[in-house]
Amino acid sequence: MISSPLLYCIVYPALCGVLLLVVGNRIKWLREFLLVLASGINGYMAWALFQKSGESVAVALPWAGFGLDFTLRLQHFGGFILLAGAGFGVLISLYSAVFMREHRHANQFYAYFLFSLAQTNGVALADNLVMLLFFWESLLVTLFGMIAIGREDAWKTAVKALVLVGISDVCMMVGMALVGSLRGTLSLNVLTQQGVALDGLGGLAFILLVLGAVSKAGAIPFHTWIPDAAEDAPLPFMALVPAALEKLLGIYFLARICLDIFKLPSAPDNWACHFLMILGAVTILIAVMMALIQKDYKRLLAYHAISQVGYMILGIGTAVYAGIIGGIFHMLNHALYKSCLFLSGGSVERQAGTTDLKKLGGLKAQMPLTFICFAVAAASISGVPPFNGFYSKELVYDGALSRHVLYYVAAVLGSFLTAASFLKLGHAVYFGKLAEENKKVKEAPAAMLIPMIVIAGLCVLFGPWNELPLKTFIYPILEKAGVEYHTCHGPIPHQMMLVAGTLIALVLAALNHRYGVKRTGVGVGASEHIHHAPVLGWFYDKAEKRWFDPYEVGMKVLRGGSYALFYLDRFICWLSDGLAAGLTYLASAIIRWSHNGSCSRYVLWALAGAAILIWYVMKSA
Amino acid sequence: MKEAMNLPNQLILLPLLAVVVVNLPLGLRWAAMLGGVFFSIYQMWTMVFLPPLETGFFDLQIDGLSRVLLLSIGLVAFVSILAARGTIRDKRERFYFYNLVLLAMVGMNGLVMVRDLFSLYVFIEITSVASFILIALRRELDGLEGAFKYLIMSAVATAMMLSAVALLLLATGETSFAKVAEQMRLGGSGLPVLAAGLFVAGLLIKAGSVPFHGWLPDAYMAAPNAASILLGGIVTKTTGVYALIRLMQDGMFGTGMSPVLLLAGAVSIVAGALAALGQRDFKRMLAYSSISQVGYIVLSLGTGTALGVVGAVFHLFNHAVFKSLLFVNATAVEDRAGTRDMNQLGGLAARMPVTGFASVVALLSTAGVPPLAGFWSKLVIIVALYKSGHPVYAAVAVLASLLTLAYFLSMQRRVFFGKLREGLEGVKEAGWYVLVPTLALTLITMGVGVLIPWMFGSFVLPMEKF
Repeated sequence: MISSPLLYCIVYPALCGVLLLVVGNRIKWLREFLLVLASGINGYMAWALFQKSGESVAVALPWAGFGLDFTLRLQHFGGFILLAGAGFGVLISLYSAVFMREHRHANQFYAYFLFSLAQTNGVALADNLVMLLFFWESLLVTLFGMIAIGREDAWKTAVKALVLVGISDVCMMVGMALVGSLRGTLSLNVLTQQGVALDGLGGLAFILLVLGAVSKAGAIPFHTWIPDAAEDAPLPFMALVPAALEKLLGIYFLARICLDIFKLPSAPDNWACHFLMILGAVTILIAVMMALIQKDYKRLLAYHAISQVGYMILGIGTAVYAGIIGGIFHMLNHALYKSCLFLSGGSVERQAGTTDLKKLGGLKAQMPLTFICFAVAAASISGVPPFNGFYSKELVYDGALSRHVLYYVAAVLGSFLTAASFLKLGHAVYFGKLAEENKKVKEAPAAMLIPMIVIAGLCVLFGPWNELPLKTFIYPILEKAGVEYHTCHGPIPHQMMLVAGTLIALVLAALNHRYGVKRTGVGVGASEHIHHAPVLGWFYDKAEKRWFDPYEVGMKVLRGGSYALFYLDRFICWLSDGLAAGLTYLASAIIRWSHNGSCSRYVLWALAGAAILIWYVMKSA
Repeated sequence: MKEAMNLPNQLILLPLLAVVVVNLPLGLRWAAMLGGVFFSIYQMWTMVFLPPLETGFFDLQIDGLSRVLLLSIGLVAFVSILAARGTIRDKRERFYFYNLVLLAMVGMNGLVMVRDLFSLYVFIEITSVASFILIALRRELDGLEGAFKYLIMSAVATAMMLSAVALLLLATGETSFAKVAEQMRLGGSGLPVLAAGLFVAGLLIKAGSVPFHGWLPDAYMAAPNAASILLGGIVTKTTGVYALIRLMQDGMFGTGMSPVLLLAGAVSIVAGALAALGQRDFKRMLAYSSISQVGYIVLSLGTGTALGVVGAVFHLFNHAVFKSLLFVNATAVEDRAGTRDMNQLGGLAARMPVTGFASVVALLSTAGVPPLAGFWSKLVIIVALYKSGHPVYAAVAVLASLLTLAYFLSMQRRVFFGKLREGLEGVKEAGWYVLVPTLALTLITMGVGVLIPWMFGSFVLPMEKF
């Protein structure tokens, strides 16, 4: 049975997760061993499957009927996601095995880790939209579990994440139902062949599906749980889920929506493209503005995780060859450098005991390898040549500039701010004065360094040798989707003007940093002049108070609504228990009072009654 | 001679004979209770199986309606006699009580079998006189006051009914139901209508419908407990309500009486329930509850349709069962705890589990909670009201069930549920003379409810045809 490997790579990690739950926390080394072994085997299976992804491998089992079939299909893009997810799984499992060892719920975390890998494989392989939704939604469960076992109050953040992602998933579910009813099928393969038009219900379905996909990737407006989770959840979770797996899955599905189902590149002047590009540009700018003023290592990274999604959405939204390639390439690059950054943050947290930028500083000498990895990843995210982020950003700029100059400006402005905030972060953590209590901080253990070094190495490798990932992974995707090869683009970097723009932005960022540091004297204060700028200051103030957080605002509205309903309920209760009962007892008291025991009164009542009765009968007869 | 001892005559003569025999100086006073128990069982027995179509003195006949009433009379008398044996301590009083119950049975049996207005009046008076004495049996101030009020109001009723009979005799020369009904159909106006009005007013006094009800709470409350069972369970229902049903069924009122009955019924339901809500005396609350329940019967009768009459009779039977049961419970409580003031009681269900459970069954049946008997009769009444085009009255009947539930639940909470009141720790379950009727009535209430499909086919519906 050729199809069985597809099933294995979903069932196998899940079974290992169950085994971890059963093993419990008694035998410490066994848990870590099982985790790394399972992730490793998962990685091997993904690699083996990716080799086969050129052939059309599928498994179809009868399931619920009504077009809800258990269909898995291995195609090239899915294989790529499978391999990338499994690769991060291997590296981060190694890191977690050290980082989480002392945690009281370590076995749960490991189990959720493996479940997440299984679900990711499921999403990447699912051909039926309902199957895809099943794996997609079940990621919520492990997401909730992994956040909730973090800090003391982490369950609040877990609920927030569950609600926000749940809402966006409901949007996606409705979108899937609309597509299914429009085309009469839920099979991605068939939908890819038929395509769906973008008018009327199709357009609505597009918007709903995109909302679901980009929210999984972490774009606004459903992003606000990520910075909170960065503080509350265990760090490997951040490196694995929001930085790597969710980007991979969200952008994977976004690309499939845009390229396969709605076929945006065939009509690039569509409103849908502008919708995506505006969403991307806004995400870039707002999230990076927030990132700039953060004073916590992990929180700052979390805002960048949101901001960088904007580039991917912008790139895919351009619907031109260079832009789409840039968007998908950026997805891969972002997963690399962002997980590396989170891992470096985890090392600092583990060794120095804090991630508060005001308490850190001067760690360059103490943790040289961590610093180098951080520096590579930071340069990469800021788009410094020749690291991998530079190349994917250039491609996105190319696509954006070919659509409208404003999109390009927004993207470059985002780059400027990204560079500025990473200069601030690096300065605050690794340079400057070493705090007294950090004198004894040592380099992180080898098992944590190895993943960082491997990922940082890939960041360097995918820079100059960008042809390697592009040819292996990304070109075939567009080939399959039938996007025409764009002649404007040769070997990267292909347009010196774009490169010049990037370099100017980087230089400006450096100057800005110098100015900020001079003004306050410390690295962490490098962005204070922007934080407290006249108009921006007001917005920052309100954003810090969570005025713009849809979850917090929604909760306030709900609380107001529930108060209103509570008083309505009290009022209805008063109507029945107060007013009605009061009137009843009043009537009862009047009747009792009128029965005073006087026989003559009773006789008079009877006689009066008889008189009325007889008068009435006589009259009507 | 064999002719003379057919079933209708037996039902009149046997209790009368028993009273005479036990009062002769033969040393048979001990047999009074046995006589009463045996006779009431005999009466129930003959009624459960189809009685023969025979005609006794004064044209006494047993039809479907009479059969249900005779059954109820036998049942309540049986319960009342046993309760008297259990709760009346004085031997002489007890002997009088049995005699009076037997006499009341003569009156009630007679009045449900007669076929003319004057005989009806005579039997009503026999029942009433026995009741006066029953109420005053203990010769205490309360009892005498209650009896006095009943007597005065009954006198008014008597005057009205007797003048009605006289007027009818004057106008039509007849008093038999069939002939009078024929005359009324031929175009009753003037004297016959006045007579009908007077007669109904008199019956409403006897039935205790608002605003003719003044005597009822005092009489029920002041009577000895065993007598309250008889009064509340059956006496007012036969003297007042049965007579109304009979005359309505025989078509003696024409259509003009319907609105009057509907209004009197609805007012009774609401006013009785509201008054019951404010009481603290257990039996007085039950008395007001009786007013309210009689309202249901009168309301159902007011529809003037066959279904309405069926509902009225069915509810009358159910009321005889559950109201007797409630009075038996009140009897047990007063006998054991020494008071009827509900504010001084509490938590008795722990000490008197059977009584407490029976009370729940009875109150749920009264309030019309399925599947107990009271639900089905109320359902018939509401359906009858709705079908005859009185949706507003139907709504009143439904909503008043809430009031019924309210005052009964308040009673149950204050008397049986909650924490046991201090000073009641020594209370024991009632004796067997009280428990046997309690269990019997509880079983009937539940049985009639659960077996309703069979009951409906074999007892309730044939009432019209038989």
